Amino acid sequence: MSRFIIRRLIWTIPVILFISIVTFLLVHAVPGGPFDTEKPRPAEIQANLMKHYGLDQPLWKQYTDYMGFTRNPSGDYAGILQWDFGPSITQRSRTVNEIFAAHLPVSATLGVAALLIAVGVGVPLGIIASLKQNSAWDYLSMALAIVGVSVPSIVIGPILILVFALTLGWLPVAGWGSFKHILMPSLALGLSSSAIIARLTRASMLQVIREDYIRTARAKGLSEKVVIVRHALKNAFIPVATVLGPMFAALVTGTFVIEQIFAIPGLGKYFISSITNRDYSVVMGTTLLYALFLVASNLFVDVTYAFLDPRIQFE
Amino acid sequence: MLRKKSLFAVLAVLMALAIVLSGCAKGGATGPEINMNLNTEPPTADPSLATDTTSVQVDELLFLGLTDFDDQTLDVIPELATEWSVSADGLEWTFKMRDDAFWVRYNPENGKVEKLDKVTAHDVAYGVKRTIDPNTASDYAYVDYIIKNAYAVNTGESTDLDSVGVEAVDDFTVKFTLEQPAGYFPGIAGMWINRPQPREAIETFGEKWTEPGNIVTNGSYVMTEWAHESHMTMIKNPHHFDAKDVQIAKINWAMVVEESTAFAMYENGELDVANAPLADIDRIKADATLSSELYIAPDLCTYYYGFNNTKPPFDNKLVRQAFSAAIDRQKLIDTVLKGEQKVAKTFACPGIFGSPAEDPAFEGITFDPAKAKQLLADAGYPNGEGLPEITLMINTSEGHQKIAEFIQASWKENLGVEVQVANQEWAVYLKTVHEDSPQVYRMGWCADYPDENNWVAEVFHPIKGSNEPKWDPESDSAKRFMQLVEDAALSSDPEERARLYYEAEQILTVDEAVIAPIYYYTRVVLTKPYVNRTYAPLGGEHIDKWSVEGK
Repeated sequence: MSRFIIRRLIWTIPVILFISIVTFLLVHAVPGGPFDTEKPRPAEIQANLMKHYGLDQPLWKQYTDYMGFTRNPSGDYAGILQWDFGPSITQRSRTVNEIFAAHLPVSATLGVAALLIAVGVGVPLGIIASLKQNSAWDYLSMALAIVGVSVPSIVIGPILILVFALTLGWLPVAGWGSFKHILMPSLALGLSSSAIIARLTRASMLQVIREDYIRTARAKGLSEKVVIVRHALKNAFIPVATVLGPMFAALVTGTFVIEQIFAIPGLGKYFISSITNRDYSVVMGTTLLYALFLVASNLFVDVTYAFLDPRIQFE
Repeated sequence: MLRKKSLFAVLAVLMALAIVLSGCAKGGATGPEINMNLNTEPPTADPSLATDTTSVQVDELLFLGLTDFDDQTLDVIPELATEWSVSADGLEWTFKMRDDAFWVRYNPENGKVEKLDKVTAHDVAYGVKRTIDPNTASDYAYVDYIIKNAYAVNTGESTDLDSVGVEAVDDFTVKFTLEQPAGYFPGIAGMWINRPQPREAIETFGEKWTEPGNIVTNGSYVMTEWAHESHMTMIKNPHHFDAKDVQIAKINWAMVVEESTAFAMYENGELDVANAPLADIDRIKADATLSSELYIAPDLCTYYYGFNNTKPPFDNKLVRQAFSAAIDRQKLIDTVLKGEQKVAKTFACPGIFGSPAEDPAFEGITFDPAKAKQLLADAGYPNGEGLPEITLMINTSEGHQKIAEFIQASWKENLGVEVQVANQEWAVYLKTVHEDSPQVYRMGWCADYPDENNWVAEVFHPIKGSNEPKWDPESDSAKRFMQLVEDAALSSDPEERARLYYEAEQILTVDEAVIAPIYYYTRVVLTKPYVNRTYAPLGGEHIDKWSVEGK
């Protein structure tokens, strides 16, 4: 097992390198730059700005400087290798490291809360639906799941605001800083994920409860509760765990729409705004961060397979 | 059971602690507070680097300028300067400064606003030079190219920063030397890029000098907290020379990007001022309370369509005039925009010195379908026959799309011409327009300072500007236009300047129809009834002049 983990961790390096090269090339291939504005600047000022950020260097040099393989124009090794994600071009008093430090915890808090809701609602709904297949319970929970999947958060968000803030007056409309601020956005975010989880759990449970070993468990005289929780659910959870990996990475690194609607100072908007602003170092930073989370959570999911299903072994 | 109880005890202690701590953090100023929205995270609080309305709003409250603009008349009024004079040749401007303005710093440890040194002419000279210094990489340095040697230094032709035409004659007198006479210079002297700056703090903290605790300011308010992307807090500066007239003790700035969310917060009492989202305008107007809180203020911006004057059929001025005359601007405002915008007949909007926008003698091109048809026929395209394919390009946005679709329908109906609407994402679009503008393209312009020079000269001078319409600088009309705007910039006689700009606008928007002005912007704002406020047409609200009563 530990050899498997180490091998996977080593594989992460070429993966991240590859992603960084592709992202770097893509973001520089798109027309327009960080200093194009409605009021075009004289070429001289443009040149000053380009020089200030090292964008006057050849492209390969910009990349190696960014990665920390070569010395940047001010003579330092300051790049990803040194855990320096560079300065933000649009917010000049801040570095990308500072942006992560300020906004990743916010997005992570919201993401974990949403994930708890997603699992807490989705798994029971899926179990109920599968156990009472084709009953009213099944139809009800699947109807809820369909609504959850098909109504986008851009619609759920304002509806929640209308109901809980404007009409009932229980919660503040938007913002961040207290427990009350987390409720609506995590609900809006978690519901759609819970719908996906509910459908997956149901499908997977339906398959598992027809397996021979479930019949064996029942034949042994185990109580229905033990059969479902210990034997069925544990195995049925494998496909759910598979989607939970990327879902975790996506939720924790921030969600643009929800953060925008609820005015949450999370990282989500940086994924979008950095691209429209051509803020190269932020685009690179957010993409690599997301990639890291994705690689890590997939690894974690793979490891949990071994615990969920003893038939899976890593050698 | 016991474990559960102790868990509750821990939770209770934590909650109590949280309440106490949040109570501590709030301390500070006493007096009325106001909850405002900055609309977004300010990209910077550094006066040399600010280019956008949000950053300018922050700087307006934190930093004083030599001069300021009157919200009502847009006249240049004294702020740090008490008086100013210009030499006979129009090249040397001398500003006398007041001696009772102080630098202040907020100390986060004890919550006090510390009084530092006096604001002097040396700080002004430092600020101006820092903007011009190429190492600062200021986007707006070009506005200062009117100052002697600013261009040479900023572009690296010269490395002698001290040769820039600004000097402290004594502690409270600052003198600017210009490249050429400029009657509008007092307005430039007060712009954010030319405000006095705290050398010591900047040299100590580098690019981090604008963070709370580091930042040293001199304005009517002091920044006490800047939680990036979340909120900013300012308290009244007790050491400001006009502090006794500043009524609002604390400003809580939210940074809500989504207009509908900000408006919901306004309706819920979490914000005292908010912009009206387009989708809600009809509801607001129908609601007795909301409509009484609504105010439509002019905004010094113009929305226009530019023509590429070299691409057929728009290489023919009759076609340009026809397309301009076929836009039903009033109907566009009434049915699409709904914010009581004004029909534009000039490039520079009302309120800009020298703009003939409100001169009844200036007719401009108005909506006239019959004449538009005639013009198109005169150009050799009766009923649009024989026209090449025409593309109208906009940057991707729901609002611009709606406007483009309306105008597309207008041209179809009134000229019988089918026009394709294409869109590009903003940064790509800018590159397209700057390098090879489409036949028809959308643009807007907002005033940096309220003078026609900032409009016709800085935007459409075919040689000095970026010349997006590809107006041939060798053509007679362009030569005449350049002559007019250059003469107007040099002249110090307001009447003569206005006359010159009148003719320049006539060439730009009517005779040559280089562009089709569409509408002058408005700001549709809601303000709670307990707020007494002013409206700053140039952006940068003067909250120091507002008050909150009976909240």
